[in-house]
Amino acid sequence: MGGAYKSLNGSEKADPVSDNGARKQKSRVLVVPSRGITYRHRHLINDLAAMLPHGKRDVKFDSKSKLYELCELAEMSNCNNLMYWEARKGQDLYLWMSRIPNGPTIKFYCQNLQTMEELHFVGNCLKGSRPILSFDAAFDKQPHLKVIKQMFLQTFGVPEGARKSKPFIDHVMTFSIADGKIWIRNYQINETEAKAQIGEDGEAEKTSSKSRTTTKDTDINLVEIGPRLTLSPVVIQEGSFGGPIIYENKQFVSPNQVRADLRRQQAGKHNARSEQFVERMAKKGDLGLRTHGGKKMPTDALDSRELFA
Amino acid sequence: MVTKGRLKMALAHEKGVDFQKLHQKKVAKLAAKKKQPKTKTGGAKDDSDSEGEEWEDAEKEIKGGAPVDDDEDDSEDDDDEQVDVAAYLDDSASSDSEVEMEEKIERVRQPKMTALQKEQNKLQKKQNKKKAAPVEEEEDDSEEDPEEDIALEDLEDLDDEDKEDLMPHQRLTINNTTALEAALKRISIATEKSVPFKSHMSLAGAEPTSNNIPDVMDDLKRELAFYGQALEHVKQARSLLRAENVPFSRPKDYFAEMVKDDGQMEKVKARLVEEASAKKASAEARKLRDLKKFGKQVQVNKLQERQKAKKETLDKIKTLKRKRAENSGDLGTHEADLFDVGVEEELKDSKKRGGDRGGDQRNNKRMKKDQKYGFGGKKRHSKSGDAISSGDLSGFSQKGMKQGTKGKPPKTARLGKSRRNAGKR
Repeated sequence: MGGAYKSLNGSEKADPVSDNGARKQKSRVLVVPSRGITYRHRHLINDLAAMLPHGKRDVKFDSKSKLYELCELAEMSNCNNLMYWEARKGQDLYLWMSRIPNGPTIKFYCQNLQTMEELHFVGNCLKGSRPILSFDAAFDKQPHLKVIKQMFLQTFGVPEGARKSKPFIDHVMTFSIADGKIWIRNYQINETEAKAQIGEDGEAEKTSSKSRTTTKDTDINLVEIGPRLTLSPVVIQEGSFGGPIIYENKQFVSPNQVRADLRRQQAGKHNARSEQFVERMAKKGDLGLRTHGGKKMPTDALDSRELFA
Repeated sequence: MVTKGRLKMALAHEKGVDFQKLHQKKVAKLAAKKKQPKTKTGGAKDDSDSEGEEWEDAEKEIKGGAPVDDDEDDSEDDDDEQVDVAAYLDDSASSDSEVEMEEKIERVRQPKMTALQKEQNKLQKKQNKKKAAPVEEEEDDSEEDPEEDIALEDLEDLDDEDKEDLMPHQRLTINNTTALEAALKRISIATEKSVPFKSHMSLAGAEPTSNNIPDVMDDLKRELAFYGQALEHVKQARSLLRAENVPFSRPKDYFAEMVKDDGQMEKVKARLVEEASAKKASAEARKLRDLKKFGKQVQVNKLQERQKAKKETLDKIKTLKRKRAENSGDLGTHEADLFDVGVEEELKDSKKRGGDRGGDQRNNKRMKKDQKYGFGGKKRHSKSGDAISSGDLSGFSQKGMKQGTKGKPPKTARLGKSRRNAGKR
């Protein structure tokens, strides 16, 4: 159907150079999970992959150390962008985004994952329609965020005229920065008839009729589709899975450390208590209040035990 | 031929033997080209490499299957083949989505930096610092003193024993601005206003969204801020796309596969229905509960009303009786008597039922219970006889005494003793 529409519309062009002279962007994304992802991770990846008509889903990658092999994998499948979802310890999810031959590579830690299915949102959109990418202004403030923005733009943005893409625009992807993390949301664009047209006042109707003649616009509201995701950038490498580290996030604390701290804190409670007990016993001993051990009080001459001995 | 090229490439990648040779050639070439202005990514690379290693980058553009210049070395040939491979693979998959891959940049280590290069590096670093001072973090500023020779990223590359002298507890921030800028320059696609919007479809906000989020943990406000950002951009995008004659809204008769399939949407709908019905049910239950609470009040009110009505009728009867008494002279005595009996009885009855303890407010049920279980006063000796009970002769009657037993007379009289005894025998 899409093809028929295109041919009718005549929007398909043979040459990749658009009317402005700018080269048409052509890119493909390889989506690869690592071994050891949980079902929620898998669903999330599937949800995101469903929105990338220019993406190619590959099987789970079975190596955690030889990540450079991913470059070859992507080259073999003719992709110039790579999304590698790495699960660690069966609970933490990391996302590596890389441009293929030359980099850069960005590593994110994923938090607050919620898949489309478990969110129960009413929004829905065409599979493979091009999203509007909405970026927070903060993305243009710092160089590392600029790089991240470009990577998002090329990975999540569907290139014009991609093979399986649909000709209409019905969803928007939002990238916002709050609390040092990148929050990703996905909304359906819902167009409804403007309310003013059903106005009961004569005045309102007048204005609406005016607006109808001039703009003939519909109201827009958004309905969330899902999934939800929060990314905290960890590291940026210059090459693709190699090369020097050109950015490292100092604020990032590894989840392992967080868990270890928590455990230590819990263990610390017991330690503190037992220490307190020992201290108290020592103190009692010093005051001569213990029957065994500690200091003995000097016997008083007027003590009844002394007097009547 | 194609497979051979791939194999070759893989081998080269695995062993890195070819690149050494290539590098020497390239160095020679670079020396020849040195006078030409080539500062695309040089600055960044100089900054990034620290202890005498430098990444050589040669950015080349290949256009489809265009013929390659003669003076390119065999690495170029390799890349050409790679492109062929890509094209081949692509043809097999889809002719539509042809991807232009960037030329791979070879990174080779150089043994030592010359003194001159070091000087240049320092200069560049200072410039960079000036440029990036506002955005960089405080740690960077404190670390990157002009006296210090070691850059931040160099510290990361030091050996462990060297690192021990430094502050081991503090993680150092790496923020190599120049390298980041270079990477950005390499990968970025144009999103300026001159470029048609439909080619990239991305919009950047004017104001950071985090300004609208007072507390990140407050879900409602946070999501509202995201929603606001999206809505603003959608409105902008729609006008931009309409200006470029790009179809925006989906016609009603266009059906295609959706991201969420029908099963999923059905589930969502069922959930919505369930939620709505649960809400309705709970509202109804609350209403009932309220009604029950209110119903008791209604009942009490009704009882009071009834008693009030009764009182009124009794009053009426009283007044009627008084009137009768006044008018009795006029009427015949017989008639008056007839009337009086009915009224009197009614009054007596009501007085009895009205309770010994005046006031008609007492509950019927209560009274019955009091009657059954007793209320107030002493309960003991209630059954023993006293002056009143012994004086009460209502149970006696002469007739009854004459008849004998109170109950039915015996049907057969008792026979005499002799006959009874005779019958036994």
